[in-house]
Amino acid sequence: MIPDQEIVTKEKQQVEGTEKTRPGRYFVPDVDIAESDDMLRLWADMPGVTDKDVEIVLKDNLLTITGMVDARMYNQLSPVYTEYNVGNYYRQFAMHEHIDDSRIKARMRNGVLELELPKREEARPRRIQVQGE
Amino acid sequence: MALIRFQDLDPVRHLLALQQELERFQRNPGFNLGPSGYGAFPAVNLFEERDGMVVIAELPGVEPQSLNISSQGRSLTISGERRRENLTDSAGYHRRERPYGEFSRSIQLPETLDLANASASYTAGVLTVRIPKAETARPRQIAVQSQ
Repeated sequence: MIPDQEIVTKEKQQVEGTEKTRPGRYFVPDVDIAESDDMLRLWADMPGVTDKDVEIVLKDNLLTITGMVDARMYNQLSPVYTEYNVGNYYRQFAMHEHIDDSRIKARMRNGVLELELPKREEARPRRIQVQGE
Repeated sequence: MALIRFQDLDPVRHLLALQQELERFQRNPGFNLGPSGYGAFPAVNLFEERDGMVVIAELPGVEPQSLNISSQGRSLTISGERRRENLTDSAGYHRRERPYGEFSRSIQLPETLDLANASASYTAGVLTVRIPKAETARPRQIAVQSQ
């Protein structure tokens, strides 16, 4: 049992490195990644992104996650005090595991991307029986 | 007042203009939300619109039923809990960057708002609270009586 704790807001990190073709800020989504025998699971915080505006690409063992925010909700609003900025999300991971890309599942739930990346059969751990004499 | 009017802009320029506007009002010292330390959760952005004010906060991964919005006097309180996902026994974490736990934050709003008639919505992990101007704060035409 993990005790309850107070959450603090972390400063959003801008994406560094390769420049995007589109101008504007891209932020690095916070992620959790867990591995079990048969799959990797990933959660990425991308508030403001709906299921229509997220793109997941797995190519050459490189997983790329892009989430686009819809700024139309800010029409006719004028800021008076702000604590965070908004922008699209982008993050890449090199995948060591052999992922069965035909069985990847993804969904957006309450602004969180939930990804299931099943491992290929041959990449799963196997217990090897030791034969007695 | 710099009202954002960019319906006519394409989505890319629209977002760029929004980012610049949000940066301009970053921790605007002219507006006091009341006591709250740096890093208070959730971070909030405050906007004016024609009929009142709008508070927007990013709360990804919070179940709508565990989100509580309440008001008292001038104070608006956002509280709730963000739970970690349940893992199967055999699983282990590679990364764990997402914060979780309970949160509660109160902000002070101008007296000219009618908090009793506030409305809230939660979409794609973003909470939006709209608070209309109080009746007494709306512009009013005063009839001149002639004798």
